[in-house]
Amino acid sequence: MAHQFKPSETVDFVVVGSGAAGGVMARELSQAGFTVVVLEQGPRFTSADFEHDELKYNFLSGITNSPEISPQTFRDDPSHTAERPRRGNSLVYARMVGGSSNHFTANFWRFHEIDFHERSVLGSIAGTGFADWPISYQELEPYYTKVEWEVGVSGLAYASPFDPPRTKPYPMPPLPVKSSGVLFERGARKLGLHPFPAPMAIASQPFRGRPGCAHCGFCSGFGCEVMAKSSSLYTMIPEAEATGRCEVRPESYVFNIAVNAAGRTTGVHYFDRDKHEQFQKARAVVVSANGGETSRLLLNSASGRFPQGLANSSGVVGKYLMFNQGGGVHATFEHELNEYKSVQVTRILHDFYLADPKRGFYGGGGIDARIGGQPTGWALASGADLPLWGTAFKERLESFPRSMMSTGHCTSLAVETNSVSIDPTLKDPWGIPAIRVTYKDHPDDLAMAAFLQERSYEIMQAAGAQKVQRTEPRRNRGGVHLLGTCRMGDDPASSVIDKYHRTHDVPNLFLCDGSSFVTSGRGQPTMTIQALAFRAADHIGQFAKRNEI
Amino acid sequence: MNTSDHRDKSSRRAFLLSTGGLLSSAWVGTHWSAIAEAAHHAEEMAATPAVVSFQFFSPSEAADVAAIAAQIVPSGEAPGAREAHAVYFTDRALSTFFAGWASDYRTGLADFQTKFHAANPAAASFAAASSDDQIAFLKTVDHTPFFETERTLTLLGMFTSPKYGGNFQGSGWKLMSFEDRHIFAPPFGYYDAEYTGFVPYTEKSS
Repeated sequence: MAHQFKPSETVDFVVVGSGAAGGVMARELSQAGFTVVVLEQGPRFTSADFEHDELKYNFLSGITNSPEISPQTFRDDPSHTAERPRRGNSLVYARMVGGSSNHFTANFWRFHEIDFHERSVLGSIAGTGFADWPISYQELEPYYTKVEWEVGVSGLAYASPFDPPRTKPYPMPPLPVKSSGVLFERGARKLGLHPFPAPMAIASQPFRGRPGCAHCGFCSGFGCEVMAKSSSLYTMIPEAEATGRCEVRPESYVFNIAVNAAGRTTGVHYFDRDKHEQFQKARAVVVSANGGETSRLLLNSASGRFPQGLANSSGVVGKYLMFNQGGGVHATFEHELNEYKSVQVTRILHDFYLADPKRGFYGGGGIDARIGGQPTGWALASGADLPLWGTAFKERLESFPRSMMSTGHCTSLAVETNSVSIDPTLKDPWGIPAIRVTYKDHPDDLAMAAFLQERSYEIMQAAGAQKVQRTEPRRNRGGVHLLGTCRMGDDPASSVIDKYHRTHDVPNLFLCDGSSFVTSGRGQPTMTIQALAFRAADHIGQFAKRNEI
Repeated sequence: MNTSDHRDKSSRRAFLLSTGGLLSSAWVGTHWSAIAEAAHHAEEMAATPAVVSFQFFSPSEAADVAAIAAQIVPSGEAPGAREAHAVYFTDRALSTFFAGWASDYRTGLADFQTKFHAANPAAASFAAASSDDQIAFLKTVDHTPFFETERTLTLLGMFTSPKYGGNFQGSGWKLMSFEDRHIFAPPFGYYDAEYTGFVPYTEKSS
């Protein structure tokens, strides 16, 4: 049974956030024998609460951070005053126990070796903070394997000739290929490319007490109704609670990290579900609140001792925000695909993973075959070649069962002015200063997205599509991949955390989530967020046992 | 009346139960009453499709909006926006869960009507104009914020759950050949049915 702690009890660790990283932290630290309280700002739902409801999930912030509860502002130029977006928020995450691991699409690529030392290979890029990671792929490999086997990933090992080395195959076979995957594979192979079964954090067969996928089709943006998606809610959180040493406290909104005269954290201030202020005492604090909220919490925890924000002597907390770029094409075929059934992606390729100076710009990425959205999302798609209304538009609607997308996913360069900061005036309903996002895509990111869109176009043509239509090249004004804002590094002057996720400034404060990233990877970050969390928890646990926190 | 009251209460209750797991969430705090009202209205609609009063639109506004929606997704052999009752969804949305959009929408609609009248002084209204005249005019305004919002609302009204007042009797889903089911099994389509399996690559990447 899950243990209940009093806020006045000093626990070994407070973990702020219960998502992809926070769930792993909670499970690993509690299994290692430590007492853990996880504070989650959102509510706790079960699989029975999830529905096939596009309006609720995609337009009424059903499980995400709504602009009413968690307002944000946005600007694309640091000299402008940021404004609240007309609809929705810039940074979007699922605000509930399990965080965004509930509503993610579940694409679970590993990063490749190059992602960790690309700056050394390619050199610097003017106007960016392009840098190497302080860790290598080899150091992370055992933890990628741990994610695959303990969180649960379906896939086919060694299928891609570009895959990085691995020590074990996947624990589950790939999910059944969909027609989109078959056509993508057909087209790509004709062009001499190397499509392969997509690794997905969705159970393809019963796994660790969970059922296999029921192929309902509502993965991306939705919570899984059958517990086949390997979200923290279904995997790490219950295993943490089963230790008897971990309490997950929902509707507990942390707004300040307390620090004593010695410069050590003593716990966190939070609002409980009745909006009463509480203080949870802890020997150490791990923040896994996501690449937006982690920075906000540090910046809002400024004090006389830490005037620029907690753990921000470098001044880079909140900076180097990255989202991943990408873009795709819609394709229509002669026969039915029925892409609305089953998981979103079953085939991908990594032939364009490496940056190639011959292209004239930096960037690398992957391409996948996927559903273009459930009915409403698909109907609303607009873009360069897509009809918007009238008879041609109705024909497009009727072609829904014969249609698919092929989509590129690629790098975002780290640019210092792209950032999460504190809005000077906007506050949330608790009176806590809100997130201000400043973001403009680096031109190379847009060039890479356009490059992959053209490759997608060619693949769909080679597959025999009757019609291929480009979507609008999209400037990022926000996203769901929230990366890079508390970057990892050896140098305290230019990074926020060290290679073990300890903040350079506060010895018993650790950060682990998308904010830890130094580079963006090629488009699917959650696998790496969880591998980092397993690795961080391993080291943090060892530090604690050696009294080195 | 008693019967009707009873039906109203029980249908509200059924909707409450269907979302019961959400009752503790902040989401409900923000949207619950609006959603419940929209769902209740949808049930009323299903029971009495012919007589429903608009809450946000005047009858002439409703006629114009229904006519715009019917040009976005025309009627024909397969159902269009009219058959899906998209205008009823729009009316409910703007008076409940999208009330925040209402002010801009109203201004945009008035501007649309004024411009239409200037371009077509002979027509009594957009709804009363010929289809050709409607199409010709829409081509001049189809990149305005109002049209984008109207398109969004029309499509939400055609393809989101019927419980919100549109997608009447699943007509939007029929148009798209979408089945709202919770379990499917492979093969899902024509091409995966004939797939013979993944053939490994023999070459090695450099």
